[in-house]
Amino acid sequence: MSSETLLSTGASWSSGSIWFVILAAGALTYLTRFGGYVLIAVFGTLPPRAAAALDAVPAAVMTAIIAPVVVSGDWAERVAIVVCLVLSLRLPLIVVVILGTGMVAGARALGV
Amino acid sequence: MTFTDGSSQSMPPSAASERYDALRELMAVLPAVMPFGIVYGAVAAQEGLSIWQTLGFSGVIYAGASQLAALQLMGLGAPIWSVLLTVLALNFRHVLYSASISRHLGAFSGRQKALGFFLLVDPLFGVSEVRAARTQLTPTYYFSYGLVLYASWLVSTLIGATFGGLISDPAALGLDFVLPVYFLGLVMTFRKRHLFYPVAGTSLVVSVLAYKLFGPPWHVSLGGLAGIAVAAVIGPQRQPDLTAFETEPKPGEGA
Repeated sequence: MSSETLLSTGASWSSGSIWFVILAAGALTYLTRFGGYVLIAVFGTLPPRAAAALDAVPAAVMTAIIAPVVVSGDWAERVAIVVCLVLSLRLPLIVVVILGTGMVAGARALGV
Repeated sequence: MTFTDGSSQSMPPSAASERYDALRELMAVLPAVMPFGIVYGAVAAQEGLSIWQTLGFSGVIYAGASQLAALQLMGLGAPIWSVLLTVLALNFRHVLYSASISRHLGAFSGRQKALGFFLLVDPLFGVSEVRAARTQLTPTYYFSYGLVLYASWLVSTLIGATFGGLISDPAALGLDFVLPVYFLGLVMTFRKRHLFYPVAGTSLVVSVLAYKLFGPPWHVSLGGLAGIAVAAVIGPQRQPDLTAFETEPKPGEGA
């Protein structure tokens, strides 16, 4: 093993194996980032059901990203996310982000 | 159809206004992304990675959750194949992103697509879908957002690796709340789209369940797939890839 080691916990990684992980993991990640494009290109024109499914991707994925706030967040976060939901019908995105973040920070500062 | 050889200068909307729109959107998400990058950089430095290795993870993989997971597994002495498998699993959701976004890249050259997919992270996917639903997604818009976000990720990684404890408590500033609100705002722009409520409702429920049962980031892939499955089962009602407006008559629709 090289003298260059990783980690407090005692596991030891050579510099070469760390760079191997970086490059291999990077290649795999890039694969996922254009894999969907290749699938679409291979299958060519999509059947209507597949097109409907693809249309649903943004709403489905972004909802899934947000969802845990509802259960894992404290009450300030739950209230804030509902308020932001209503605000987002009217206000620009950045304003909603600033107001929502401010509400949560304020609630935490007050110990709510 | 536009045949611009990828040169965004010849697009109808001016490049300057495209850049302005993209950077204005980006400003809303940087406060969430940069603290996360700083946390990653600080953890990597504490784990004993060199500055170049720390930057290597951010610059080559460019996916925060999987970078932290890889570090954690390596610290436990896990075998390389299991580190790589974990990274692949955590980043699986990008397959869905690239499948969906590939339909909006008509103005991109082959080389621009190759670089564009490398930069395809969650916020860039979100804003690009919103942009494409409103107007043509141009390379200028996409890369203004994507490249500045990428640079910010590297800079924040460097800051974290250098000054580990700079932001000692991001939660006190509510910074962990920025991303959920950001995606909430993005997702609400799709509310007029066909099947929005069954899709979003299903994703919400399944994501919560997956989060409870398996923990992050499985809730994204499983919740997302569940909503997509609902859309596939119910099927199309209008022409696909059109934002639905209730008042707009659509003569001659088949299904």
